[in-house]
Amino acid sequence: MNDHQFILIIFLAAFIIITAVFFLTYRSSLRPEEKSDGIKKPLQKRFYFLIALTIVLVILLSVTIPKSPYFKYSDQTPAKVVFVDAMQYYFFMSEQAIDPAKPSGADSIIIPVGQPVEFRVTSLDVNHGFGIYNSDAQLVTQTQAMPGYVNRLRWKFDTPGTYHILCLEYCGANHPNMRTSFIVK
Amino acid sequence: MSAQSLKKTTATWIIVIMTLFITAIIFGILMRLNQGNDYKMSSPGFYATMTTHGLTMIAIWSVAGMVAINYLLTRYIKVPNSLSVFALVFTVIGAAMLWYATFVGQFHAGWTFLYPLPLVKIAWAKWATPLFFFSLVVLGVGWLVWSVGLLVQILKKYSLKQAFAWQHLSKKEPEVKTPPLILISTVSLIGIILSLIVAVILLALTFAEYYSGGAFVNDSLLMKNLIYFFGHTIANESLYLGLAALYELMPEVSSRPKFKTTWYVALAWNCTMVFILTAFFHHLYMDFVQPLGLQMVGQLASYFASLPAAGVTAFSVFVLVFRNHIKWSLTNVLFFIGIMGWLIGGVGALIDATISNNVALHNTLWVPAHFHTYNAMGNVLFCLAFFYWVANEFSGSQTKTKAQQLKTALLLIGGFGFVLMFYLAGADSVPRRFSNYPAEFKSAPLMATLGAVFATIYLIAILLIFIEILRKCVKAFSAS
Repeated sequence: MNDHQFILIIFLAAFIIITAVFFLTYRSSLRPEEKSDGIKKPLQKRFYFLIALTIVLVILLSVTIPKSPYFKYSDQTPAKVVFVDAMQYYFFMSEQAIDPAKPSGADSIIIPVGQPVEFRVTSLDVNHGFGIYNSDAQLVTQTQAMPGYVNRLRWKFDTPGTYHILCLEYCGANHPNMRTSFIVK
Repeated sequence: MSAQSLKKTTATWIIVIMTLFITAIIFGILMRLNQGNDYKMSSPGFYATMTTHGLTMIAIWSVAGMVAINYLLTRYIKVPNSLSVFALVFTVIGAAMLWYATFVGQFHAGWTFLYPLPLVKIAWAKWATPLFFFSLVVLGVGWLVWSVGLLVQILKKYSLKQAFAWQHLSKKEPEVKTPPLILISTVSLIGIILSLIVAVILLALTFAEYYSGGAFVNDSLLMKNLIYFFGHTIANESLYLGLAALYELMPEVSSRPKFKTTWYVALAWNCTMVFILTAFFHHLYMDFVQPLGLQMVGQLASYFASLPAAGVTAFSVFVLVFRNHIKWSLTNVLFFIGIMGWLIGGVGALIDATISNNVALHNTLWVPAHFHTYNAMGNVLFCLAFFYWVANEFSGSQTKTKAQQLKTALLLIGGFGFVLMFYLAGADSVPRRFSNYPAEFKSAPLMATLGAVFATIYLIAILLIFIEILRKCVKAFSAS
């Protein structure tokens, strides 16, 4: 199961549980007035509910924060650095720094499999997204391309193949066609 | 203010909001049909429609909550009708300017008008850029005057501490009791005013660059923070205004004891104000240059905002309904389903607000999935509940149960079916804001078509509710 499927299952489970709780609560309200007895000790139950929810949230925070992309491979030296300059509606990619006055990129980019790589991503005009998709059209990782700033995205590709880059920040009418690719081998 | 002028203004607002809502839903359906390859729009036409759809929805559901509290606050404080009329005029003028900029001028930078897209390499009529920004000025002035006016009226009767219900934190039975409507309205109005002040700064910086001829250039990261502070805050505070109406009306229409402000209600809403003003940082997770501390604040605030929401508001509704005989009408049914939609959308939002998940979900269809859930199946229903209740007040009549059941069933099937298509596509990595999908996203067009079908079912429910509300609202103009 990949990350996307796991996220969907968690969400659908929550969806079903919340819907069931509301349906049963609604059903319980259809009783005759003389049988209305409500919830016993609501303050106490609310307190326990809040404590339980707080514990769940703290556990989730402590588990997920260390997995944030900012810490990915931060203690390793990248085997390759790829410079990315985005502009309407192209991505220039190069293993050399790109001159913003005369932007140009390499014909093809080869990334070594199983080794950390760093993408240094910026934009020459408006905000763009830098979304890396695998050959199954699943989003692997991403960062933003923002004018005036360089976002450093580190990743390790364990599966060889062709990866596609799609713009994931709306940048104008031709936004869906802004794309390029690189090869991992 | 006379009761009659209040009724007339409220009825006018409802008719304007519902008309714009139905039109904006049709825009949404057309966009999904275009993505499903069932209908052909030009690419600029798609994005002009997207810009109009987004900003119109944000605008009308921001003011819908204001209409509700404006009406209900008259139970506790004096509210001059001129505030609401002023905002109504400015909203209609602002919306007309916006639509002209998008449909005639083809302005299509999206409702978030993310800097610097509206200013560089524009692909629309030159005049449409300033017209779009001036439409925001007009809308903003109307809402700012209304929000400040209502807050001033609250503070004429309650001190700031009382309006925040701080006396309830230390005393079980304080001398001055703050009704939940006053507390939630105060918290929300302050949030709205702050977001509008930030919008003023944002617009001033934008105009400065636009009219400087290149001499002045803004900082992209600062502008992004300002845009999302404004957009996130106003969208969320609008939802809280809908909740204010729920606190006031749901027990009343359910023949249950009124909600009271207790220490935990006061604490929850004070905490909500802090959390909601800092949660917007989660929109910038994928901007790695944003200081790390702010990224952490984004996730912490997003997570802990759920405590008062679920633990106090949703739990209070649960206590009100569970094993108690409730006489259901469309008003409390809409409030009840709205809480459910709010919670489900909240779970979707919480998943996306987790930084490690955001890498997989940011700017996929998961984003419109969750915000459509807590808007279309949350805030919209809170406001519709108020509209329906107030329309009954105008006419003094109720709808038969069978008609209510049909409307409810269509809302549930259409609404949740519509957002589910977004969730499934988002979890399948399908990008948002693509007018057409590249060939590798094989299931995306089908999801879009099904989304349009479910949205049409939702639209039918909304039309049925509107027809009934309209029939009753008309009586507000004829009654003496």
